[in-house]
Amino acid sequence: MLDRVREWLRERKEKLDLFDETNVDRLDNPLYALGHIVYFSWIVVFVTGVLLMIWYEPTTHGAYNSILRIQHEVPLGWLIRGAHKYAADMLILAIMLRIYRMYFLGEYKRPNELTWMILFASLVLAMISGITGYLLIWNQRAFWAAKTVLSVAVYLDQIPIIGASKFGSAIAFIFLGGPAVGQGALTRFYAIHFGISALLLIAVELYFIFTRRKRFGLSPTAIVVLLLMIVATSYIFPAEMGRRADPNRTPLPILSDWYFLALYQYVKYTPPLWAGLGPGFLITYGMLVPFLDRSKGRRPSERPFFTVVGVMALTYFVVFTTLIMFNIAVIDRDPHIVLVMTSVVLVIGLLLELRYRRRRRAAEAAAPKPPPRVVGARPAPTAG
Amino acid sequence: MAERGVNRRTFLRALSAIPVLGALAAFAAPLLRYLKPNLDPGLGLPEGRLRSLAEMDLPQGEQLALGRVEELAEPWSSRIFVYTQRYAQYTPEQARVATIPGVAIRLPWKVSFPGFKQGEEPTDIVIFSRICPHLGCIFNYVPNWREVTAGYGGYVPPEERRHGLMACPCHLSIYDPADRDRPGRVLSGPAPRPPYYFTYEIRDGVIVITSAEPGGIA
Ligand code: FES
Repeated sequence: MLDRVREWLRERKEKLDLFDETNVDRLDNPLYALGHIVYFSWIVVFVTGVLLMIWYEPTTHGAYNSILRIQHEVPLGWLIRGAHKYAADMLILAIMLRIYRMYFLGEYKRPNELTWMILFASLVLAMISGITGYLLIWNQRAFWAAKTVLSVAVYLDQIPIIGASKFGSAIAFIFLGGPAVGQGALTRFYAIHFGISALLLIAVELYFIFTRRKRFGLSPTAIVVLLLMIVATSYIFPAEMGRRADPNRTPLPILSDWYFLALYQYVKYTPPLWAGLGPGFLITYGMLVPFLDRSKGRRPSERPFFTVVGVMALTYFVVFTTLIMFNIAVIDRDPHIVLVMTSVVLVIGLLLELRYRRRRRAAEAAAPKPPPRVVGARPAPTAG
Repeated sequence: MAERGVNRRTFLRALSAIPVLGALAAFAAPLLRYLKPNLDPGLGLPEGRLRSLAEMDLPQGEQLALGRVEELAEPWSSRIFVYTQRYAQYTPEQARVATIPGVAIRLPWKVSFPGFKQGEEPTDIVIFSRICPHLGCIFNYVPNWREVTAGYGGYVPPEERRHGLMACPCHLSIYDPADRDRPGRVLSGPAPRPPYYFTYEIRDGVIVITSAEPGGIA
C-alpha cells in the first residue's frame, strides 16, 4: 500500500510541471505561456513588495499615511505600488486562466494530478495573500473585508460535532490575533502576506535548482511587453487609496478586489454557515477533480459532466461579479433562482454524460476489434 | 561485524535526530499555541482570579446618559451614539475596551422590548447595537424605506412595514425595529438573528443606557 503511494508520488513528481515549463516549445501559443506569466508576475510582486516594505509602516495609525507617502512623495513610489498591485492581479488572472485551461483540456489527468493540485492550492494561497495584502492599506474596504471574511470563519463552529472543537474561531484567531480587527490583526496579516510568497518562492527556487529544470521560457520581448503593460496600467490607473478605515461606519456599497466579488455576492445569498462551507466545497472539488473524473478522454466533449460544471463555474463567476458591481440583489428571490438553475444544469450535465457513455459503449460493441476512436492523446496505460 | 557497523550507524543517526526533533518541537509549540483561541473567559488564569474575570466577560459598560426623552419625541426620530464596554481577554491588561455603536429609535407604537424592563412593560423607544449580527459590519438606521429598496438590494417592504428600517451595507440584511413581536426582526438578507439590543432605564426623563446584550461584540 505504502509502496503504491510512493510509486504514485514518484511518477507525479517526475512529471511535475509547475509553470508549464515542460511546454516551453509551445510558446507560440499564448495559452501555454500562462505558467511563465504566473512565475514572472510572482517575481515582480516579490521584488516590488520588498521595496514597499522599506517605506510601509505596519501600524493602525501609520499604515494609511505611509502608503499615501509612498504614492505621492517617494520617488517612483506610485510605480512600485502600482506594479505590486497590478502584477498581483496579473498573477491571479494567469493562475485562473491556467486552471481553466487545464480543466477544459483535461490536463489534470494522469500524470499531472499533482501539478494540478499544486496549481489549485496556489490559487487559494494567492487569494489569501491578496486579502491579507489589502488589509495593509488600512482603508475602509480593507477593514470591512477583513472583518466580514473572518466572521464567516467563526460560523464554522456551528457545524455539528466537529464544530465543537471551535476550529472556526481558531482560524479567525490565527489571522486576527485577537477578537477584533486591530493592531494584532494588522501585524499578523503583514506577516502572513509576506510569509506566503517568500517561503513558497524559496521552495520553488530550490525545486528548480535541485531538479535542474528549465524554469523560464518567456522571450525578452514578452517580458518587456508585460513590464510595459504593468507600468502603463500603474500610470493610467494609479492604485487606489480609498478612505481611511473607520470602525464605526460601514460604507455603502462596499466592494473588495475583483477576484473576491463573486464570492461576496454569494455571501449575500446564503445563511452565514454556508458562506463558509460553499467555498470549502469548491476548493475540495477543485483539489479532487483529477480523482473524480475517471473518464478516459481529454477533450471537453469526452467528459460532458465535468465540462458542464466548468462552464457553470465560469458563468457564475462572471454573473455574480457583475451583479455585485451594480449592487443588484433581490435576496428573497435570487437564491431560489440560483439553486434551481444549478440543479437543472447539473442534471443536464449528468444526462449528457450518460448519453455520451451509452453511445460510446454502443460504438465499442459495434466494432469488436480495437475501438474505432483513438481516445485522448495518452498512450495506453502500461500494465502494473 | 559489518552488520554491527550498520546498527551503530542507525543508532547514531537516531541519536542525532533527537536534538533536531527537539528543536522542531520547540519551534512548533508556540506556533501550535496559535490554534487555541483564548476567547473563553478566564482561560489560563490562576484559580483564585478566575471567577472575577469570568464575570468580566459579561458586559461591563459605563452607564451612558443618552439624552432626555423629549429629544426623541417625533415618531421615527433616532439618535446614534457610541457605547464603551469592557470584556475579559487574555492580554497583559486582561481587559479590552470595545466601543459599540448604537442607535435609539422612537416608534409610533409600543412594543415589548427585552432591553426595557426585560420586556415586561411595553415601550416605544428601542435601542439597538449597530453591529450587524451577520458578519459584524455597522448597519444604518434608514428612516425612509424607499432608500432601503433603492440602495440595499431591492427589498420592497409590505404595506404595514413601510417605515423606518435598519439596513446593512455589507450583505444587505434588513431589520424592522418596530416589529410588534420581535423588535429588530430580520426581514431580508443572510443575518441569522435580530441585532443585539441595549438595556436602558428612564431616570427623571433621561434615557440611561445601562448595559448591552451579552455576546454582542464582534
Ligand atoms: S454584515 Fe451585515 S449583512 Fe453581513
